[in-house]
Amino acid sequence: MAVTALPVAATRPVSTGHFVRLKLRVTANGLRGATWKIILFVLGVFYALLFAAGGFVLFMLPGALDSVRGYGIAAALGGALLVLGWLLLPLVFFGVDESLDPARFALLPLPRRTLVKGLFAAALTGIPAVATLIATGGLVLGAILLDGVAAGLAAFVGVVSGLLLCVALSRAVTSAFASALRSRRSRDLAAVLLAVLATLIAPLQLVVMNGAAATDWARFAGAVTVVGWTPLGAPYTLGADVAEGRWWAVPLKLVIVGVTIAGLLAWWSRSLESAMIGTAAGGGPAAVGRRGRALTPTQRLLAGGLPRNRFGALVGREVRYWWREARRRAGVITFAVVGIVLPISISMSNDDAGLTAASISMIFVGALAAVNLANQFGYEGTAYAANVVAAVPGRAELHSRVLGLTVYVAPIMGVVAVVISSLAGRPEWIPALAGILLAAYGTGLAAVLPVSILGAYAMPDTSNPFAISSGGGMAKSLYSFAAMLVAAVLCAPYVIAGLLLGDAWLWAALPVGLVYGGAFYALGAHLSGKLLDRRMPELLQAVNPRH
Amino acid sequence: MALALHGLVKRFDTTLAVSGVDLNVPVGSFFGLLGPNGAGKTTTLSMAVGLLRPDAGQAQVLGHDVWADPVEAKRLLGVLPDGVRLFDRLTGAELLAYHGLLRGMEPGVVDQRATELLDVLALGADNRTLVVDYSAGMKKKIGLACALLHGPRVLVLDEPFEAVDPVSAALIRDILQRYVSGGGTVVFSSHVMEVVERLCDHVAILAAGTIKRVGTIDEVRGARSLEDVFVEVVGGRTSTGSELAWL
Repeated sequence: MAVTALPVAATRPVSTGHFVRLKLRVTANGLRGATWKIILFVLGVFYALLFAAGGFVLFMLPGALDSVRGYGIAAALGGALLVLGWLLLPLVFFGVDESLDPARFALLPLPRRTLVKGLFAAALTGIPAVATLIATGGLVLGAILLDGVAAGLAAFVGVVSGLLLCVALSRAVTSAFASALRSRRSRDLAAVLLAVLATLIAPLQLVVMNGAAATDWARFAGAVTVVGWTPLGAPYTLGADVAEGRWWAVPLKLVIVGVTIAGLLAWWSRSLESAMIGTAAGGGPAAVGRRGRALTPTQRLLAGGLPRNRFGALVGREVRYWWREARRRAGVITFAVVGIVLPISISMSNDDAGLTAASISMIFVGALAAVNLANQFGYEGTAYAANVVAAVPGRAELHSRVLGLTVYVAPIMGVVAVVISSLAGRPEWIPALAGILLAAYGTGLAAVLPVSILGAYAMPDTSNPFAISSGGGMAKSLYSFAAMLVAAVLCAPYVIAGLLLGDAWLWAALPVGLVYGGAFYALGAHLSGKLLDRRMPELLQAVNPRH
Repeated sequence: MALALHGLVKRFDTTLAVSGVDLNVPVGSFFGLLGPNGAGKTTTLSMAVGLLRPDAGQAQVLGHDVWADPVEAKRLLGVLPDGVRLFDRLTGAELLAYHGLLRGMEPGVVDQRATELLDVLALGADNRTLVVDYSAGMKKKIGLACALLHGPRVLVLDEPFEAVDPVSAALIRDILQRYVSGGGTVVFSSHVMEVVERLCDHVAILAAGTIKRVGTIDEVRGARSLEDVFVEVVGGRTSTGSELAWL
């Protein structure tokens, strides 16, 4: 929408203060009349103050202890972490502060400059900004304690510019994402990325703990210097630079920060336009074929030499669904991360764990792979009607679904066996671990397939991989835990017998595991197939989100 | 009879959605099932094609019981359900190939018919957009293509014209009329009188879970318009002129 030029004398110019007052008024009105909102607000303020106080102490402590190096590390890395937090947290909790939604200003004749300045000022008047300012205030006090008022002054300038940078960054990025996230494809992608981030928290913790225990701080020095010169760390290291006698760095770093803020604000101002109009430019359907013009419809469905019949079609669709459906893809990725990280952390936590501990974690991983199918019919919901109308036999249905999943989890399980054996320094374990994985996968499938038919529940029609329906979905997901337990029990005789067998086990485990898991799977699929033949309409009802 | 329903009953929790529906659809007819929202049209058709197990009653497709002999009955049926998702993470071409192979068709025939259907329905044989990103009208069209692909003898369509633009609706009408003149039978539900009056030779009016009127279109409407009959049967009120006088 074009902003028309107004006769200047006729209107009072809109000042930045208007936006700030509006923001405060909107916040206050949002609290009116609803007790739980006030409680939430107070809790939010409380946590923000807690965070601010904690940050203040952490940032100040090295200065109080008179450690110049410690102060530098805390300023550079802590500051960078803070900036990253401002970047990522609004994306994870998307729309967390939209009390002044740019779209509301679309019809007002405001110059874009005024709008950006005003919204920026409004974003600065919020609890997160205040908390950040208090927390980083620790750097100012620390610098004063270290090197006197001059360093404190430099740190103060740095801290304020750092806050501006944080707010500008988070506004610019959320605004750009808001327009990008309007298309389904990118929403799916974002959902999967979040799932990966969530599962990565555990391994990151592991890495950091081990890193912190093992590394000496001198190795950090180079990294600290580099981070200090990036926009992430530059604003917060001004005090440290003065304390270490590098006065010349202060103006240079201020220029870096200033240019970054200006760039971010320009970017924001650009994406603000599309956020105001409410429709993204790049959101429409694209991807009209380049490749594959010579392919016939069946060739497109049946990739990789699948048989050109009903079973091939079922498998072909399943293989595509495990990748194209966000919830399923998130499941596979989560399995890949957990499947590798969990055995590693188990073997790292007790030093001479040996084959027994590795075997037990393999049972868990194999069963976990099968649990991906625990609500297999819920994923696609009523689309299953197509298979009901075509009278697909239960066993073909189940075999094809298992095969579709196996295409993804079998290579992952192979990697798990190799990685765990290699980390233990015992490559001769590989076939044994692979055998246990297969046996546990087989027994897991035997346990999970009936659950997927009898305990199917509807999932809401969203692309959020963490969304499960409120009505009983939570209780029903307990079935998958029960199924894992059953799988472990079924698998236990095989593993115990194997461990008693001694060295011969190392080469016998793979073929025996294949047969053991295969037999359980065949039995489970046979019985579940018959069950499915009788219950197709009931299953369809169960996965329908509208009932 | 192409489709014969006897005493179909379905109860959801406390509400009786369908209470004893009897319906006989002659072979080669273009049959319209009319009813207001919530009359039980979707429930009835779901039970007729094997998607919803009835509490009582039978459904037969060309003499094959849908619930006792499902494989043969479903082979003869083509279904476009309403309010049901498609396997929408496939492209249109992939979805058609899936349906064709699911029905046990020859791959060569699937390819030829799928390409032709995509072409005729203006969905684009080379379009790599996923069905989930289709517009509502395109979804109806690809659903119809899926129902037609294996050359069923009876087509059961639930609200085939909803959300379809006029150009596509005309195209769908043409295709369905060709299908009936070739000896096929179409049963479809709608609450749009105009479409039913224009297409159907037989109609049934369903309200509150039972069939109120059934017969050829002339038998049902008599000398009046179908809309008048419908409103009277369903029990809607017509304006007398005394209320809302301030209008």
